[in-house]
Amino acid sequence: MNVITRGMRGALRSPVRSGAIIAMLAISIGLILAMLVARASVNAKISEVKATTATALTINPAGIQGGMGGGDPLTADQVKTIRNTAHISSVSAILTDQLGTTDTNLTPSFELGSFGKRMMRFDSGSSTGPSTNISGNADGNTEAKTPPAPRTSVTGTTNPSSITPSDKLTSGAMIDGNSSDKVALIGKSLADKNSLSVGSTFTAYGQTITVKGIFSVDNAFENNGIIVPLATLQTLTAQPGAVTNIAATVDSSDNVSSTVASLKKSLGDKADVTSQEEEAASSLAPLESIAGLALAGVIGASIAGATIVLLAMIMVVRERRREIGVIKAIGGSNAKVISQFMTEGMTLTVIGGIIGIVLGIAVSGPMTQSLVSSSKDGAPTNGQQGGPTSGSNKPAVFLRSARTQLTTNVNNVTSTLTPQTVVISIGIVALIAIIGSAVPAWAIARVRPAEVLRTE
Amino acid sequence: MLTVKNLTKSYEAAHGTVHALSNVNFSVQTGQFASIIGKSGSGKSTLLSLLGALDTPTEGEILVDDADIAKLSGAKQTTYRAHKIGFVFQQYNLIPNLSAIENVMLALEFGGMKSGSKRHKRAQELLLGVGLSDDEQLRKPARLSGGQQQRVSIARALANRPAIILADEPTGNLDSETGKKIFKLLHDLTRKENTTIIAVTHDLDIAGKTDRTFLLKDGTLTLQ
Repeated sequence: MNVITRGMRGALRSPVRSGAIIAMLAISIGLILAMLVARASVNAKISEVKATTATALTINPAGIQGGMGGGDPLTADQVKTIRNTAHISSVSAILTDQLGTTDTNLTPSFELGSFGKRMMRFDSGSSTGPSTNISGNADGNTEAKTPPAPRTSVTGTTNPSSITPSDKLTSGAMIDGNSSDKVALIGKSLADKNSLSVGSTFTAYGQTITVKGIFSVDNAFENNGIIVPLATLQTLTAQPGAVTNIAATVDSSDNVSSTVASLKKSLGDKADVTSQEEEAASSLAPLESIAGLALAGVIGASIAGATIVLLAMIMVVRERRREIGVIKAIGGSNAKVISQFMTEGMTLTVIGGIIGIVLGIAVSGPMTQSLVSSSKDGAPTNGQQGGPTSGSNKPAVFLRSARTQLTTNVNNVTSTLTPQTVVISIGIVALIAIIGSAVPAWAIARVRPAEVLRTE
Repeated sequence: MLTVKNLTKSYEAAHGTVHALSNVNFSVQTGQFASIIGKSGSGKSTLLSLLGALDTPTEGEILVDDADIAKLSGAKQTTYRAHKIGFVFQQYNLIPNLSAIENVMLALEFGGMKSGSKRHKRAQELLLGVGLSDDEQLRKPARLSGGQQQRVSIARALANRPAIILADEPTGNLDSETGKKIFKLLHDLTRKENTTIIAVTHDLDIAGKTDRTFLLKDGTLTLQ
C-alpha cells in the first residue's frame, strides 16, 4: 500500500464525517460551476450584442421619435449629408404616416378602445364617424364632437426587409424599397379584415395601391400596418425627400464616436443622433450586473470550499497528532506524512468535485435563467414607442424600435456549458484542494515525533 | 555499540528551567538487553526520545557505531529512525485504519523496501514469528487483544532489522502473564537478530532479567 492508497483510505475512515464534508464541498463546487456557466453565458451575450450594435446609429428628426412627437422630418439634403458623412457605410431611411378613414378604404383590424380614445383626447375632432361626447376631454368641454377612429400606420422605407424579414411573409414577395411603385406589403390581420390577398388593390391618399405581399408578425399593432417604398410614401403624402428615421451603419466601431460627433455638428439641433452602442450599454447594464454577481458567487463559493477543506483537514490533523508522531517515529519523513494527508484532502475534494460538477450541470441552466429573469424584472421599460396611437397629430408607430429589439435580444440568454468552463471549474477544485491542504501540511510538519512518547 | 557521553537535556517551563537529564553517561554493547528503571518524571521517556533521534539534546553526544546522531540533519535523523531504530510503545501505537500486516508493511516501506510483494512476505514472516495467525494478520488493531497488538508492535519494530530497539514500558499495559510472554518474545527475537534493546520499565522482575540495569533518578543515571 503506497502513500496515495493510504491517503485515499484515510479520507473515508469516518464515513459520516467524510460524507458531510463531501456534501458541503459538492454544494460549493456545484455553485461555482453554475455561476461560471451563468457568467460565461451572460458575457457571451454581452459580446454578441456589442458586436452587432457597436456600429449602428439612429438618427431622428429633433422632437420626433418613432411615430410620436412634433417638428419637421429630415429633408433630402440632410439625408444626403448623412449619406456623405465619412465612415457611414450604409443608410436605411424611413418615413411613417397614418391613414385616417377618409384617406383610405381600408378598415383597421382593431378597435380604438379606451386607450386609443385617451391618446386622442386633445384632438379637435375627427373628420370621420358619427358625433359623440368623449369623456375626459382635457379642457372640460362637453360639446359634441366627431369621435375619432383607429388609424392604419404606413411605413415607407428603403429597406423593407429590415422591418419585416422575408421569412415573415405568409404570401407574395418582398417589395423594392428604392422604387416608387404603388405597391405594398400589408399585415395579415389588416388583410383579413379587408379580405385582401396578393394582387388585390386598395385605395390610399386617393391612389390605388397593389398588395404585393402579406406578412404576419407576433404583434397585433404591426399586423395592422402597411409597408411601401420610401419614395412612394413621400409622393403620396406630398413630402418629397422627407424622412422620420434613419438607421445608419459606421464602417468600424473605432469610428463611431467621431462619426456621431461629425453628424451632430453637420445636422445641428435639427436631428438627434444616437449611437446604439450607448443604448446597448444601458440595456446591457443588468447583464453586466449578473456577470459581476456571478463572479462574486464564484469567488465566495471557492473561498467556502477551500475553508471547508481547510477546517476539515485541520480537525483531522489535530485528532491524529499521535498517529503523525508514530509515523515519524518509525521512519516516515515529513514529505510522506504530508503527501498522505494532502491525498486525503484531495480525495475529499475530488469526490466532492465530481458530485458538484454533476450538480452544477443540472442547476446551471435554471440558475442562469433565474438570474436573467430577475434582472429583466428590474430593468427599465422602453417608454411609449410602438404603442397604438391614432390621433391626427400622433402618427402611428409601426417600426419596432431598435431598442425594443435590442432588449429582446439581451434578455434571450441561453446557458451553455463549454469545455473551457469545465476546465476552469476543475482548476478551481484543484486550487481549493491545494489551498485547503497547504495549512494542515504546515501543521503536520511541525508535529514533533517526541510527542508520541510524551503522551505515553 | 551505543555510547552516550555527557548527555544533558534542559527545557524552559513556566516555573523556570527544567533539567530533564543531567550529564548522563553510559554504553551498551551490540546485542545486549539493557533496562532503565525509575519513577515517573525521572527522565526515562526523555532519554528514549534522545536515543531515538526524536528530540535533540541540549549538550552531549549519542554515538551509534561512532556516528553522533545528535548532530544529524532532520532528513538523516529520519533515515536513522527508519533503519537503525525500532520503537515499541506502551500503548502499541498501531495505525488504527491499517490491518496488522499493513502496519508492519508501513515500517518496511519507510525502510526503503520498494517491492510490495517483498514487503508483504517479510511482514507475514515477522507476524508469524510473533505468533499471529494469517487471519489475525488481516485484522485491524481494534479487533486484536492488547497482547496481540504489542506483538504486532514488536514485529513492526523488528521489520527493518534495526541495530537498536527502544521499548517504552512494553509490558505496562498488559496483565502479568501476557507481559512475561511479551518480554520473553522480545528477548528471544532480539537475541536471534543480535539486536540491542534498551527498555524502560517499572517492573523490577523484568529488569532483573536483562543484561544491564540503569536507575534514572532526577535526571541522573546510575548503574545498578
